[in-house]
Amino acid sequence: MRIFSKAVFVFSLVIGAGTGCSSMGVEPWERDVLAKEEMQLLADPVEAGLDDHIYFSKEASSGGRGFGGGGCGCN
Amino acid sequence: MGSPCELLTDADDEQLAGQLLDIVSAEAWRVEDKFSRYLPGNIVAQINNSDGDTIKVDDEVADLLDFAATLHQLSDGLFDITSGVLGKLWRFDGSDNIPDANEVNSMLAHVGWEKLCWKRPQLTLAPGMQIDFGGLGKEYAVDRAAVLVAAKTETRCLVNYGGDLVATGGSARATGWRVGIEVPEDESARAGHLIRLARGGLATSGDARRYVLRNGVRYGHILNPTTGWPIEGTPRSVTVAADTCTQAGMLATLAMLNGAAAEAFLDEQEVRYWCLR
Amino acid sequence: MIRKNRKSIAATLATATCSLLGNSIPEPVQAQEEPGWDFNTALLYYVEGDDRVDDLSLNVLARKTFLDDRSLSLGFAFDTLSGATPVGAVPFDSVQTLTRASGRSTYSVPADAIPLDATFWDTRYAIHANWQQPLGRLYSIDTGLSASFEYDYTHIGANFKLSRDFNKRNTTASIGLAFASDDMDPEGGAPVPLAPMLDVGDQSNKTGDESKDVIDVVLGVTQVISRNMLVQLSYSFSDSSGYLTDPYKILTVVDPVTGDPVPRVLAPGAEGPSHEYRFESRPDSRTKHSFYAQTKYYMSGKVLDASYRFMTDDWGIDSHTVDLRYRWPVGENKYFEPHLRFYSQSEADFYRISLVDGVPLPSYASADYRLGDFDALTVGLKYGWTLASGNEMSARIELYKQDGDAPQDQLIGNQLTREMYPDLDAIIAQFSYRFGR
Repeated sequence: MRIFSKAVFVFSLVIGAGTGCSSMGVEPWERDVLAKEEMQLLADPVEAGLDDHIYFSKEASSGGRGFGGGGCGCN
Repeated sequence: MGSPCELLTDADDEQLAGQLLDIVSAEAWRVEDKFSRYLPGNIVAQINNSDGDTIKVDDEVADLLDFAATLHQLSDGLFDITSGVLGKLWRFDGSDNIPDANEVNSMLAHVGWEKLCWKRPQLTLAPGMQIDFGGLGKEYAVDRAAVLVAAKTETRCLVNYGGDLVATGGSARATGWRVGIEVPEDESARAGHLIRLARGGLATSGDARRYVLRNGVRYGHILNPTTGWPIEGTPRSVTVAADTCTQAGMLATLAMLNGAAAEAFLDEQEVRYWCLR
Repeated sequence: MIRKNRKSIAATLATATCSLLGNSIPEPVQAQEEPGWDFNTALLYYVEGDDRVDDLSLNVLARKTFLDDRSLSLGFAFDTLSGATPVGAVPFDSVQTLTRASGRSTYSVPADAIPLDATFWDTRYAIHANWQQPLGRLYSIDTGLSASFEYDYTHIGANFKLSRDFNKRNTTASIGLAFASDDMDPEGGAPVPLAPMLDVGDQSNKTGDESKDVIDVVLGVTQVISRNMLVQLSYSFSDSSGYLTDPYKILTVVDPVTGDPVPRVLAPGAEGPSHEYRFESRPDSRTKHSFYAQTKYYMSGKVLDASYRFMTDDWGIDSHTVDLRYRWPVGENKYFEPHLRFYSQSEADFYRISLVDGVPLPSYASADYRLGDFDALTVGLKYGWTLASGNEMSARIELYKQDGDAPQDQLIGNQLTREMYPDLDAIIAQFSYRFGR
């Protein structure tokens, strides 16, 4: 639990810094590149899901990016 | 043009964007000043005050008159730029006020393309007649602006005058502009359609809030120039996609003139359309 | 009514417009209604070396976006797995015989090979549904349900995420929660922890079905750095409780001097294991913390996607994952995407190569190589192309290699001369097709 509360604390700092840091970023009209499909954080959810499933079955770690999205009897 | 006009462009050169805006706005005002029936002193005012005299018109006006003649023929007389005077009799405010039949009949004496004499470049109206380019002016203006923009740049641009629009430039596989077609009177925008327009024109003909309601029958504001009465069974709105805004607009208008058979007409013409009833 | 030859109206109009505008023939219109549904389908084939597992998987994801940024996603996956995986027993220079999980017969493991379990064939169906929508101007929510079914395993889950934008949408903070409840009904029943493997027909070492619950919490921040760069940081916490043991995995009981499996004497006429084996046992709770950072960087058409994840849990496992993808467009409608992934994990506290005869049993023990100390490397290449219709296809091939070491301090006698750790080599091949309807 100690790691959990430390992490929440660090996170709040990061968010606080982010929200206060209004100088970092772009204007709404400069988002052309960011709108491209290949620039999305999760560009191919099907492939990501398939990879996550393979690595979840063969390794001891899982997720990290978001949620596990469904369990299986393979680990 | 009676509506907000805008130019959207993909240009990342501020100077070019500024130049394109100047080109488009100059052309919009030029067309409006020349063809608006509300401005005194322009060619339309001269024609409408000619009282039977022959007026010599320039090539641009002549081209539009030739176009209006073609549309008159294609529509079997339902599209008629001399029918504007009928508008004085009808008030489409949702009320149940309809004009007296005698009033309509006497007004009809001044309506009818066949009653004027058009021999390029000379136009002679009978006394009491008026011409009105309102039915094709906006779409024509959009296409004129597009021609000038395309001559200046290959960057993707969208010329939009109040919902009559055309897309130019860009490569064959460029993603289109996202254009929404609203459902009339549905403010929440939950319904409607979303179209990707990469090339070509889109125009809408609709009755929106202009209608007369009498004995439970709704009459749209499109008048039949041969009878003086609204066309029955018109859809609430028709949107058409075609190679140019003018074609799109004319097809939408012709569809409305077909009243209840609007969809059938558009199906036969094999054009992409969205019809709301 | 218009009575003319109707088709010619559009054509006549086209000609008349040309004259009016003084154009040469304009380019044909390209107007497409936004597809109702966007489908993303993939067929994947995964095959391991040494006749181990192979898996054929079909995935379909259908998504519909409504006019005001609300969307519905429906996903379906179908997997068919077959083959065998390392069962946890140590290799030996004679044949070994083990009882199947069902308890109805035995199977043999050849000499000098990493013992694999009896060949299995399993099909799995999984579905999920997600609904995403904005809440006011700056908030949005994402909520979903998931379920999967196999003959011996059922999962159901629910997830919820809330996000908020700051700084002209340059910063997005989100918090997510997920719950899962899984039920297992292993073939033959779940074994009593660390119980010995018994003869055919004797199921006294087995109990019935089991279950586990998992709670996940994720905190994330996404930040736009520049016009070409985006960064995401997240922390996730996962807590599993219930039956976390693998009901099919075992450990060999070995001689304290030679390190060889202790032989077992069979009663006359009986069929059963040739040596002493015990079923594994894992703790009934596991808490994981993960820290994840990802960046996407655009460089004149090419996109670099780099991410790092660190995971640590209360089973003593730490892992590092570095994932790099580089998307390289070729012309307007094709691209290559090489992929490199480095993975490294340390072993679980209760990971044991084998159990030593005579030494008191530990509370927990597992020889499952997936809880061991290993490094893994994935090298792959993907090629994608857009068709004239605007639909996309892609194909990728990847090689996955796991290389591990048995903990030296656990090896005894002859074990030091044998290859104790089951390395893994696998090939992943996938074909995808994306289209709208």
